[in-house]
Parts: sequence; C-alpha cells; structure tokens
Amino acid sequence: MARDLPAEDPLVRMQRDLKRALKKKPQDIKWGMVIDIAKCIGCHACTIACVAENKLPPGVVYRVVLEEDTGKYPYVWRRFTPRPCLHCQNPPCTKACPVTATWKTEQGAVIVDYNRCIGCRYCLVACPYAARTSDFGEWYTADTAELPGKLFGRKAAANGYEAHPATEYGKKWPERDHGSPVGNARKCHFCLHRLKVGMLPACTTSCIGRATIFGDRSDPQSLVYEMIGSPRVYVLKEDLGTRPSVYYLK
Amino acid sequence: MFWNNIMKNRWEKKLIILAIIGLVVGSWGMFQRLAYGHLGMNYGSFVPWGLWVAFDLFFLGLTAGAFLITILTYVFRIKLLANLGPLAAFTVLVTLLCEVIIISLDLGHPLRVYRFLITPNVGSMLFWLVVFIISMWLIYAPWFYFLIREHLIAWGNDATRPGHKVYRFLALCKTAYTFQDRQRDHRRTRFLSYLSLPIGVIFFGAHGAIFAILHNRPLWNSAMLPLIFIMAALLSGGALITFLAYLYQPDDKLIHPLGHVVLLILLTFLFLEALQIFVGYQSKITGIVTSLDLITVGPYWWAFWVVHLVIGSAIPAFLLIRYPDNSKMVATACFLIIVTFLAVRLNYLIPDLAVYKLEGLQNTFFHRRLRPEYVPNLNEWLVSVWVISLGLLTFLLGTRWLPVIQAGRGEEEHV
Ligand code: SF4
Ligand code: SF4
Repeated sequence: MARDLPAEDPLVRMQRDLKRALKKKPQDIKWGMVIDIAKCIGCHACTIACVAENKLPPGVVYRVVLEEDTGKYPYVWRRFTPRPCLHCQNPPCTKACPVTATWKTEQGAVIVDYNRCIGCRYCLVACPYAARTSDFGEWYTADTAELPGKLFGRKAAANGYEAHPATEYGKKWPERDHGSPVGNARKCHFCLHRLKVGMLPACTTSCIGRATIFGDRSDPQSLVYEMIGSPRVYVLKEDLGTRPSVYYLK
Repeated sequence: MFWNNIMKNRWEKKLIILAIIGLVVGSWGMFQRLAYGHLGMNYGSFVPWGLWVAFDLFFLGLTAGAFLITILTYVFRIKLLANLGPLAAFTVLVTLLCEVIIISLDLGHPLRVYRFLITPNVGSMLFWLVVFIISMWLIYAPWFYFLIREHLIAWGNDATRPGHKVYRFLALCKTAYTFQDRQRDHRRTRFLSYLSLPIGVIFFGAHGAIFAILHNRPLWNSAMLPLIFIMAALLSGGALITFLAYLYQPDDKLIHPLGHVVLLILLTFLFLEALQIFVGYQSKITGIVTSLDLITVGPYWWAFWVVHLVIGSAIPAFLLIRYPDNSKMVATACFLIIVTFLAVRLNYLIPDLAVYKLEGLQNTFFHRRLRPEYVPNLNEWLVSVWVISLGLLTFLLGTRWLPVIQAGRGEEEHV
C-alpha cells in the first residue's frame, strides 16, 4: 500500500520540471497538460483559481469542470472532466480568425492578441470544445446599489476589485469598460504570465486532488511526459484531428 | 413643390413615413448598442451569433437579384430583363449597405476593421467573405453608375429640374453624352456583368462555406451547404427583384418569366433542404438529430412548418403554379417568400449552435451567456428595425431622386 504513495508531492516535481524547462531555448519548450479524471473530485477549485487569477468577469470562464452522470440507479456515478482550452496542435480556432488575432506560439500555447481581435466570435463558433468565451462587458457589481457619498456603493465596490483587469499575457490592460479585453474572445493561455516568472498555472497549483499535471511535454524527464506515455491516456474528440496538448487519463 | 413631387405615390409616402417611424423606434436599440456595447443583447458564448448574423445572411441573399438578372440576360438570353439592370444594381447597393451596418454592429470592436487590411488571415473564410463583399461593391457601384450616367447628365443639364446642380456634380460636371460615351458605358457594364457571374457564385457560396468548413458543426459540415446558400440567395434575391419589378415596372412581359424562374428556384431549394434533413436524420448522429429536432419539433417548430413551409413555400408555390400569368399573384408569392425568409436563415444558423458541444457542459458554470437557449431580445429587434428602415428609406429616396427606373428602359437593346 505504502508503495503506491508518491514519494513527493507532484507539485514539487512539476516545479522542478518547470525550472528546467525555463532554462531551455523558448522554441524548444512544448507546454502540455495531463488531467487524471480518476483523481478529480469535482471540487471546481481550478475553475475558481483561474477566475481569480485572471479576474474573469461574469460569463467568461477559461476552465470548467464538466459533470456527467453515468449508470442507472442505484448504480450511478458522477464523472468530472476539467476542460481548459486544449491548446490544440492543429487548432481550428486560429484558422478561423480573419485578422490573425489568435495563433499558436512556438511553445504550443494558443493565445489571443486582445488589441488585434475585432470580436467577430468566429473562433468561438469554430472551437469544438466550447473553450472560448466572449467578454460582453458584464460586471459582478452591476446590481449593487449605488449610494452616493457613502463608502460602499456600486462604484466603490467595483473600483476595489473588478475595475482593474488582471495582467494577462504580462500586459497592463485598461480599466474595465475602456477597451479590450471587453468585446474580445477570451480563453485559457496556460497562465503564460505565471510561467514566465517560474510559477505553475493557477489551475495546477490549486488542484487538491493533484489531478492536473503541467509541464514541458518535450522533456523526457518531466512528469507530464511520463503521464502522456500512460496506457490510460486519451484526448477529447480525437476524431476531429485537433491534436490537443491537453491529455486525459481514464 | 419638390416635396409634393416626391410624395406623388401614396404608397411610397406611406412607406417613407413607416421607414422614418422605424428609424425613430429603432434608435432606442441603437442607443443601447452604441452606449453599452453588447451588454444589452441576448447572444452569448455558446450561441455567439444571433439575430444580426441571420439578418446579415438575409440581406446578402437579397443582393442576389442582380446576379439572377445578369444570368438570365447573358446566359439564358432573356434580354428583356436587362431593363431591370439599374433597379437590381441599386437594390444590391442598398442591401449591401444594410449588411455592412448590421455586421459591423455585431462586432465587438467594429473600429478595428482596418485589421482586415493590415493583418489578414488568408486562410480564414471570413477574410475571403470580406474580400468578396468589397468586390461586390467594386462591381455594382460602377455598374450602377454607368447605367444611369446618361440620365444623370441629362438631368444635370435640365435647369428646371430641382437639384440639377447635384446631378451635374454626380455626372462629374459632364454636360454632353455622345454616341461614343454610350458605346463605352455599355462595354463597361457588359464587362462588369460578366465579371459579376463568377464573383457572385463565389460570394454566395462563400457564405455557406463559412459554416460548411467547420468540422465540429455536424449540421453545417457538408459540401451541400454552399450550394444551398447559393440557391437560398437566388430565391430571396429573385423574389425581391420580381416584387420590385411589379411595383416599379409593372410589365407582364417582365414579371411572368421571373415568376417561372422563382418557382423553379423555390422547388430546387425545397428539394435540397429536404435532402439535407433526410440525410441528417438518417445519419443518426446525436448532434445532427438534436439540431434537426430543434428545427422540426423544438419550441420554434412553427417557424419551420408554418412560417417557412406553409406561408413562405407552399402558398407561394401554389400561387406561382396556379396563376403564372397573373402579375399580382406572382408579386404576392414573391412578397411572401421575402418576408418569411428570415425564418429560413435563423433555422440554418441557430440550431447547430444551440446544442451543447460537450457532454456535461450543461451541469457546470451557470451563466446566461453560457446557455444554448437563445431568443433575440427587444434591443436586437430594434437595431434590426433601425437598419431595415434605413435601407428602406435609402431605397425609396434613391428611386425617386436617381434615374433608377428611367435608366432601365430600353436597356435590352444594348445587351
Ligand atoms: S480547445 Fe478550442 S480554443 Fe483551445 S486551441 Fe483547441 S480549438 Fe482553439
Ligand atoms: S473573435 Fe477575435 S480572435 Fe476570435 S476570430 Fe474574431 S477576431 Fe479572431
């Protein structure tokens, strides 16, 4: 039994893998993720961590946890499948974009240039995994009462948090409602801004079941490489030929 | 005096008033869109394209009237229909205007359209669609101009005509129109007509291709879709031009052949549609069957069975078969086809989007923008009303103030 327990927390190993990857030439890194659905307990911590990390507004979500009921009563199960953007190696979304506002980087992450995106939403229609959402400019504080002269009105509440967007892609974005990313297509970017400073993606560090493994899938020493080699591995909608960089373990 | 002249047709006057009311009422929706962006609209991330994209397809279909007239004139040699050339070309320009406005309003960042020029993606069907929309402008604007130039010059020379200076300006200050000018203009229009044939086929087909190329959309992903879109465009465009011909040039010799053509296209379109539904159901693929069920037995079943099939297809087909020589009946049939065609466009657009693309998505992360149920809200309808009213007003005033009808007369002699 004790033999089955990991010798170290996978997070520690992933952190080591990340350090090693960052020493490589950028073009030699190929980011990848493996999600072990046998370990996912459906806590949705990754969804929340991602929303908080990227300060996502209402209706915008990068990583959801799909919930399916299987079997027949009384033998029923619930299966949880976290679904970030799968960073397809053959992505239909980037081909659809008429103004090259979204593309696959040489490290394999599919990203969006908010300043280039015209908000046509064709990429949303083209993604087979519903992994893109559009920012319609919603506010969490929209229904908060405005109390002029008092400390806690709608504006004050908004200014305290959601008026200032996160520094996605390592850039400073204007106050909310003053341009992009409102009106843009938005999606998971593998937390590139965190990777740059040696931190794992927010979903990975927050996963209490350690179901999410992240790293350089071209590094034979990395945990993610090892997991991709598992006989339990599969990808979503393989028949579409999108070749996701996010793999699943049964 | 001038205004009285404009108002001489009572139905035109009523339509102008209707268009102005539409502009006033619709401006509330426009205000919402311009002041608050997409916040007040009902589409979301799972149904990212809604009523405005359906209207976009609707308007683009209506542009096919000119294309049909060109085919009938130059390929099938029904030269008499060349008389409708200026009217058809003007209709294209107005419907393209409506299309460009409504699709710009649908963009998250409409002011960034210059991106199509500086960072184009030649691998994207949407990019090519924009190229072909521009091509349509480049063909039909000069085509229209060369067709009406003779009359513009004549009107500019007529000092008694109100606004003759404007006509003189539009004629680029030209005061004489020689035989050589006429020959040259006819050569130009003929060249543009020939050019419009391949461009038109690709343009209408490209619309279908935008949807057809998507692997993940089983209902759309078929080689038949571009063909269906071409037929849909010919049907709605043909019906529109027949209806307008009845209003502006009520000549039985023009209306009757057009009625036969519209009937033929209607039957072909229905056949293709039936084939698509039959093949879809027989495939027994859950995604396709669910989408088709949404069309045939979903909450909006009546849009398909009653609006499209009964009012927009069966009744027009009956009128066109039973009264082929009655221009009024032919025009009524065409009117019914046009007004119900939005239902066809919505039925192509929404059902494939309104199905969850992954099992389990319905049980997670609830938000109204992350749901497949979509019903256009009042703001979306008001914006559409505004755009239609603008198009209607432009059309009515254009046909009064420009020699759109006059220039067509006798055009067949030059073909
Ligand atoms: S999952 Fe969707 S958004 Fe992500 S790369 Fe693939 S097609 Fe693009
Ligand atoms: S929404 Fe933006 S990223 Fe997506 S296809 Fe349109 S322009 Fe490209």
